[in-house]
Amino acid sequence: MKSGLIFILSLIVLTSICDTINQLFLKSAINSLDISLSANIIKIFKFILRLILIPRVWLGFLFSVLSLCIWLFVLSRADLNFAFSADSMHYIFIAFASRIFLKEKIGPKRWFGTLLIVVGIILVSVS
Amino acid sequence: MLQKKLTIKILVFLIFSDILETFTQFCFKKSAFSEAAYLPDFFRSAFSSPYLWIGLFSVLLTFIIWSTILSKIDLSVAVPVASFSYILVPLVSIILLHEKITILRWSGIIFIIFGIIFVSLSSKEGEADS
Repeated sequence: MKSGLIFILSLIVLTSICDTINQLFLKSAINSLDISLSANIIKIFKFILRLILIPRVWLGFLFSVLSLCIWLFVLSRADLNFAFSADSMHYIFIAFASRIFLKEKIGPKRWFGTLLIVVGIILVSVS
Repeated sequence: MLQKKLTIKILVFLIFSDILETFTQFCFKKSAFSEAAYLPDFFRSAFSSPYLWIGLFSVLLTFIIWSTILSKIDLSVAVPVASFSYILVPLVSIILLHEKITILRWSGIIFIIFGIIFVSLSSKEGEADS
């Protein structure tokens, strides 16, 4: 039971990392377009069309397919409510990856939020 | 540039995206029923399930709705409302999937939701710096 839990948690870490890589590629591609979204549906579709022509977006897409495969495997072995709650760790990974790769800042509120998520995941895992 | 005030219209969009996200996870869970340890067998059964493809369509829809929401309102306002799905998914797990959730796990979920709210709040600081 205990080793099973660690195995599932490691897989959730892996899918969260894949998600984070996908988000980083997507965000850096969007940054490179240097355009602000408007509410106009046609403009949004044009924006998405320009976006999917960037190779980085496809690289990110590969990681999100990988993430989906791992996620499906996790769901076949674990309760949905546990897996979904534990998957919230991707918020933490994205915050730290944004700091390292996109030079975004982590303020005291984000550190505090990260701590709360970690405590939450531990509580969800032990119960 | 982006507004901070949550209008009824945006709130409806946000709640709809919460419901879609929950629906997606429910579909994925239903598609991943195979216990096969041999991965090709496992993925063959998962990808041949209609639930998986309905779930993927729902992901696409959620992505479009989120793009629309985020073009209208600040992320720090949208994310706390979106984290409502961290309550919705466990509720659906109990009602439709007959999973059991202890008080301790619910308290963990509450911690996670507040954590997500705090992580998203600080995105304002990042903007102020740049």
